[in-house]
Amino acid sequence: MDKKVAIVGFRMKSAPDLVTTRERLTFELTRGLFDDLGIEREDVDTTIFCTNDFLDGRTISNCFLEGPAGCYMRDESKVEMDALNGLMYACMRILSGQYRTAMVVSLALTGYQVSPYLHIEYQLSPIYDRQMRLLNELSAAALQARSYLTRYGYSEELLDAVAVQALSNAAANPYQARRIPGVSKEKVASSSPYYEPLKELHCYPPTDGGCVLLLASAERAKELTDKPVWVLGMGQSIETFYLGERDLFRSPSTVKAAKRAYELAGIKDPKAEVDLAEVSALFAHQEPLLAEALGLLEEGAAESSYQSGDTAVSGKMPINPSGGALGGHPVSATGLIRAAEAVRQLRGEAGENQVGKAEVAVVHGQDGPCAQQNAVVVLGV
Amino acid sequence: MEETRQVQGTWDLSTFKFRIEGEGIKNMLKEMKEAKLLGNRCHKCGTVYLPANFYCRKCHIAIHEPAEISDHGEVMSYTIGYADVRGNPLDEPRVSLMVKLDGSDTWIMGAGEDMKPEDVHIGMRVKIKWADQRVGNLQDMESFIPE
Repeated sequence: MDKKVAIVGFRMKSAPDLVTTRERLTFELTRGLFDDLGIEREDVDTTIFCTNDFLDGRTISNCFLEGPAGCYMRDESKVEMDALNGLMYACMRILSGQYRTAMVVSLALTGYQVSPYLHIEYQLSPIYDRQMRLLNELSAAALQARSYLTRYGYSEELLDAVAVQALSNAAANPYQARRIPGVSKEKVASSSPYYEPLKELHCYPPTDGGCVLLLASAERAKELTDKPVWVLGMGQSIETFYLGERDLFRSPSTVKAAKRAYELAGIKDPKAEVDLAEVSALFAHQEPLLAEALGLLEEGAAESSYQSGDTAVSGKMPINPSGGALGGHPVSATGLIRAAEAVRQLRGEAGENQVGKAEVAVVHGQDGPCAQQNAVVVLGV
Repeated sequence: MEETRQVQGTWDLSTFKFRIEGEGIKNMLKEMKEAKLLGNRCHKCGTVYLPANFYCRKCHIAIHEPAEISDHGEVMSYTIGYADVRGNPLDEPRVSLMVKLDGSDTWIMGAGEDMKPEDVHIGMRVKIKWADQRVGNLQDMESFIPE
C-alpha cells in the first residue's frame, strides 16, 4: 500500500463521565477536526460511523449523528464494530478512487450506564451460555487470563506489571480517562478482586469518549497537512464467538490479521522493523498475549520483557506508550484512539510519552468476547 | 431430522438512561407557558429550528440566536387514523397533522381538532389551540384547529 492513503488529522476525548450527549460530543470532535485542518463539511467526501447500538439504546444508532458530524445530505455508512475496521473501510473507499477524503467517527457513552460490561453478555449464545449465567465479559476475560498464565508458566505478577506500565503511561497522557498519579504495584495488587485472577485495575474502566480521524488520498493529503501519516498495511480476521472452541491462551485471528498487514507493508521482521505498538488490550493479560500474536514479543518471554523494561516507553519495543485501553475504553472507539495515539507518536507529538525512534507503528483493535475479532493496521512516516 | 425450537429470552434494556440535549426543549417549554413558541436561528444561513438545535445541520456550526415563532401555520401533510398501532379500532377517526409554523423552517406534529377528516388538506391554514391552564409541558399545545 505504498503511501496511497494518509491520516491527516484527528480529534479525541475521553473521561470517566463526560456529562454530554452523543450529538454534542460528535459535533465538538468533528467541528474541532475541521477547524484544525481549515476545511468545511463539504471537504469530507464520505463518513464512516462506528458505534454500538446496544450501548446507544437505539437501533441503527448512526441515524441520529449525520447532522452533528456534518454529513447531512452527504455520503455516509456505518460499521458496527471496533472503529479500526471503520478506518480500514475508509481506506478502501479512498483506494477505490471514488473519494479523496474519508472521515471515521466513533464514540460511546458508557461511563454513566448501570452495567458497563453488559454488552458482551448479549453477544453470548442465547440458548446455552446466557441461560447458564456464568459467562460475562469479566468472567470470560478471567478464563482467558488464567489459561494464558498457566500455558506459559507466568506468575500473576505479570498482570500487575502490565497494569502498572499501562496506567503509568496513561497518567502522563492528557487524552486518557483513567489517570492515577503515582500508581504502584501495591495499588494494583490491592485493588478490588473481580474474577480471579483479574482485579479492578487489570480491567478497562467504564469510559465516555470518542475519536474522529480524517484520511485522504496522497494528493489531497499533501494539501491538508505537512505531517501525513501513511497507512502501510492492514488486515483482519475473526474466530468463533464460542469460547469452548477456542484456545484462549493465544489469538490465531490476530496472527492472521497481522500477517496480512505486514505483507502489505513489506515488513518481514516485525521485532526489528516496528518501533512501537498501540494494542487494544481491554484486560492486563491481553497486552502481552496480543503483542506475542503480533510478532512483537517472543512467545513465552512476556514476563521477562515486562520486567526488563523492554515494553516501556524507553524500551526496545514500547507497547501502548499511550497507556492503552486500561486508561480508557469507549467501546468501538478504542481501536481508532489507538490509531490516533500512533499518529501522535509518528508525528513526534506524544509529549512525555514520546518514544525515541517512531517511524513505523502497529495498531490493533478488537471486538467480541475475549478478542474474537481482530484488526491490525500498520502506520508509518 | 431437523427440529426448530423456540426459547424464551430477555433483552434487558427496560431501564436505559438516555442523555438528550436539554436546552432547546427547556426554553421552548418555558415560553409555552406564556402561549409562545421559541426556537433558534442559524446566524449564517438563517434556517430556523423548532425546537432549537445547538448546531446548524446545513452549516455545521454552533448556533445560539433565539427565534420567536408564530402559533399559526400551514399543513404540510396529514393522516387520518382509524386504528391504533396494534390494530385496535378507534371510536372516532383521529386527525394527525404535520404543520410548518410561520417563521420556522422545521415542521411539528399535532392532533387536528374541529375539522372533518374529509376537509383536511395540504396547504390548509391552522393555529395552535392552547390549554387554558398551561404548566410548561408539551400538553400545553392541545391541538391544531382551523385558523
